[in-house]
Amino acid sequence: MWRRASTWAAEAAAVFAKDWRCELRTRYALNTLALFAFTTMVVVSVSLGPLGTSADLGVSVLPVLLWLILLFAAAAGLPRAFVEEEETHTATALRLAATPSALYCGKLAYGVTLILALELLVAPVYAAMVTLSIHSPGLFVAALAAGGFGIAAGSTLVAAIISQAQGRSTLFSVLAFPVLLPPLLLVVELTRNAVAGHPAGVALSQLLLYDGAITIFGLMLFPLIWNP
Amino acid sequence: MSLNRLRFSGVRRRFGRLAVLDGAAGEVAGGEALLVTGRNGSGKSTLLRCLAGLVAPNAGTIELEEDGRRLGAAERRLRVGMVAPDLAFYEPLTVAENLAFFAKLRRVGPHRATELLARVGLPPDRLAGALSSGMRQRLRWVWALLHRPRLLLLDEPFQNLDAAGEAAVRSLLDDHLADGRGLAVVANPSSLEVPRVAARLDLGG
Repeated sequence: MWRRASTWAAEAAAVFAKDWRCELRTRYALNTLALFAFTTMVVVSVSLGPLGTSADLGVSVLPVLLWLILLFAAAAGLPRAFVEEEETHTATALRLAATPSALYCGKLAYGVTLILALELLVAPVYAAMVTLSIHSPGLFVAALAAGGFGIAAGSTLVAAIISQAQGRSTLFSVLAFPVLLPPLLLVVELTRNAVAGHPAGVALSQLLLYDGAITIFGLMLFPLIWNP
Repeated sequence: MSLNRLRFSGVRRRFGRLAVLDGAAGEVAGGEALLVTGRNGSGKSTLLRCLAGLVAPNAGTIELEEDGRRLGAAERRLRVGMVAPDLAFYEPLTVAENLAFFAKLRRVGPHRATELLARVGLPPDRLAGALSSGMRQRLRWVWALLHRPRLLLLDEPFQNLDAAGEAAVRSLLDDHLADGRGLAVVANPSSLEVPRVAARLDLGG
């Protein structure tokens, strides 16, 4: 049992390491995500003007804008996780070699770390550009981690579903909307609480519940999607 | 009687209204090869993909026994070795990195890849994206044999290979069949000389 779990973990780690090695050599997703995030941050900053927003308006609007930037930047890069395997015909070799659940976990870990790297880059720059003062930095970091995980997990699942379909881009937008809307609403609420210095409330526990549920759902569904 | 055997019957596969396979049947035992012939579009590649577990047949049975144990479809998919034209590798990675990745998934040590690369004469430090079509074909052979599969499914196995490459992979195929445990299904051979052919299946077309 233990031996089986360790070989499964080694498989997932191999997929994770392979995806990052390919990414660091091509920089496709990193460049796409960073450029998209930078462009939208500049647009937001310029639109708000040099005076920024009032404190009340800042608490309600700035967290929404932050998560919109993160969501659309992630949407530009995360669906590639499985789509690229199909487009470059490496999916056949993967189907014949990888245990589906280990493959899914490796891809999920890659998506989560990719979005966390994006958040690490975007959040401080955004806070500085729009002069966002955060009263509960710990809760803010928790919101970024839990929200980032939820978006990555939801996107990875949708990417797996659409990877073998025609018209993938349209399908991603259609399917991602109901999957990513709940964590987005929760993480915006959580970020508002962090900015205003309020307690986390039920949003954090609901977001963590979503993260756990979407991960388990993905692990159960993926072998059925991946194999004929 | 061999403990390794592939048996399939009544295999049918349709894509929409198009019936590509209509009741294909065959059998091959350890140490033997089954040669599948037919015109373009007759379903040779589809049959091999069904045997690999990459495509689910609409009807029919496929049974693979390894060492006397019958494998389910999911296990069969992870056990077979396959050479096919649409099999590709990660272009940003080197040949050695690609094989090391699949060796981890296949749970085999790194020495097997080194040994096979030496036999087919493939440079391990060359990027997969910089390989010629003949070198890619050699890499497909190394990848297919990495985990010492019992069943080898070969679709156009000698395409794009020069004389030296063809000799190298023929030697690998000979060794695979020689110990009496490995079996092969070969479709679309560009050269008709395949060793130890026990049966032929003509899909016509």
